[in-house]
Amino acid sequence: MVSAERATVEASNLVFAWPGQETVLNIDELAVAAGERVFLSGPSGSGKSTLLGLIGGVLTPRSGTLEVLGQPLHELRASDRDRLRADEIGFIFQQFNLLPFLDVVTNVSLACRFSDRRRDRALAQSSSEEAEATRLLHHLGIDSELLMRPVTQLSIGQQQRVAAARALIGSPGLLIADEPTSALDSGLRAQFIELLVAECESAGTALLFVSHDLSLRTQFDRSIRLTDINRTKGTDG
Amino acid sequence: MGSAATVLMLARESLANRRATAILTILSIAISSALLLGVERIRTETRSGFMSTVSGTDLIVGARSGDINLLLYSVFRIGSPTNNITWQSYQEIAGQPVVDWSIPISLGDSHRGFRVMGTNTDYFRYYRYKRSRMLTFAEGQAFEAVFDTVLGADVAEELGYRLGEQIVIAHGAGATSFIQHDDKPFTVVGILDRTGTPIDRTVHVGLEGIEAIHADWNEGGRAPGQSLSAEEVLELDLQPEAITAFLLGLKSRVATFGLQRKINEYPQEPLMAIIPGVTLQQLWQLIRGVEVALLAISLCVVIAGLIGMLSAILTSLGERRREMAILRAIGARPWHILALMTSEGALLAVIGVSLGIALVTGLSFLTAGWLKQRFGIFLPVQWPGPIEWLFAGLVLAAALLVSLWPAWRAYRNALADGLSVRI
Repeated sequence: MVSAERATVEASNLVFAWPGQETVLNIDELAVAAGERVFLSGPSGSGKSTLLGLIGGVLTPRSGTLEVLGQPLHELRASDRDRLRADEIGFIFQQFNLLPFLDVVTNVSLACRFSDRRRDRALAQSSSEEAEATRLLHHLGIDSELLMRPVTQLSIGQQQRVAAARALIGSPGLLIADEPTSALDSGLRAQFIELLVAECESAGTALLFVSHDLSLRTQFDRSIRLTDINRTKGTDG
Repeated sequence: MGSAATVLMLARESLANRRATAILTILSIAISSALLLGVERIRTETRSGFMSTVSGTDLIVGARSGDINLLLYSVFRIGSPTNNITWQSYQEIAGQPVVDWSIPISLGDSHRGFRVMGTNTDYFRYYRYKRSRMLTFAEGQAFEAVFDTVLGADVAEELGYRLGEQIVIAHGAGATSFIQHDDKPFTVVGILDRTGTPIDRTVHVGLEGIEAIHADWNEGGRAPGQSLSAEEVLELDLQPEAITAFLLGLKSRVATFGLQRKINEYPQEPLMAIIPGVTLQQLWQLIRGVEVALLAISLCVVIAGLIGMLSAILTSLGERRREMAILRAIGARPWHILALMTSEGALLAVIGVSLGIALVTGLSFLTAGWLKQRFGIFLPVQWPGPIEWLFAGLVLAAALLVSLWPAWRAYRNALADGLSVRI
């Protein structure tokens, strides 16, 4: 068992069910260590979104405990869970990560606007939120000429890298990437994951990478199959 | 940047991104609130305009007809008199011991669309407007000679008349009269300061002047073969035989009702005396229905504008669910979503109502002259009054209230959707 101080995510006997419906998630034990890079796989319907919703703090477990960066999410009020998500969790989704009415840099720096902590950590790196956004975007291979463009003019690969920069700005403790490469060409996937892993490493951010494409797992410290740890599916099957 | 400023920034950028819809929504709010404010402005300004035109006059006396008709033609130069009063009756009533002063009025002629009013110099001494203001001269002085005339400010300005100019008076009140008293021109001896009342649009002459130009007339037409020159006319007795109406100021207001009754029962001829304030109230009663209808219509237009805004915001909700999920994912709390949607409504409404105020102020500036010429309504160009601000505030409050609905729906959606939206 991972010690409480070092764990980024620690769940035990975690059970979730929508009101009046059958249990969709029942996990004995799940842990992600600080700075660890974990590959999580599972077919659709295996409870991936539910698990991410629980870790992200928009869902509450029916029973069991769930700690994220030492905070007991199962005990926190909704507003405190929102704050924890703002401060410590970056998200990248499959597609449509960006606000179409903001330019590239503002989309990235926006993550600092809802969290004082992330802003402070961003300002510890660079002179301004925008400078930090620009720095991360450069690291992720976004050219300067793209920075002030509307995000709608970017390719999907570029949009996903902008989303990665937003998830990374202000060095959150955990980055959750939910199928971030499934809309990308296979050639771009490996490159994207490489960049993402490198940036997580330099920021000290743990990475929970969700995908059904098992060929990608080689780039991670550890691989978990959700069907293995979710007892709901096991008993159903 | 605080989160409130962030929410405002997001609202602004999001609206700018949906520019076409936003502009149309703003326009519909602007036009509807301008209509509401405009109706209210015309309503209050015509009232205060009418109120300020007669001040200090206790009774208006004319031939028996309708109260409102007498008030309108004697003071506001609207409509026409039905009959005359004999000079003798005027002398008798004006000579009553309770009477402090009297101003005779003789109407029926015009000069290039402006009404000509025959009176005497007591008019300049006793007439009051806007509570207690006296008539004052911008140039020159009151008429003395028979063929002298004093012009209202608008008459002089619009026709470009200066002191010493000769003008010809036409028979009848129309703008284009074929019968001109062109053999007896009048000389401009005075121009009044602007009053913001129908006086500005009046040509004033002495009663003797009116008498003189009609001296060789008979039964409303020029008597054939009896033409008299201006010099010959001056030899005649120019004491008028009849006038149109007269204004009375009493020594004590207490005597008003007594004298009014006496005049109404005057045995020699059918006369009528009205108290200006009372008759104005009757006039308001008469037009109240129209006012209420106009206000109701403009309120409906405002409601239609707000519904337009509501539908624009509601329509955008579906396509923006993903935006809300993104905001939630980067840490926006549910109240941020609520605030974002409400402030979009607020931004639209604030810009719309401000534009509406600008529109109504600009329009009143542009149409002031036309309203004055056409209807004798004096709309001062000014900032909205307290009632207009109240109306503007109410429209804003209603817009905020209305935008709470889509905001609430977005809030519920955001909570239900969590971080991932499947559309």
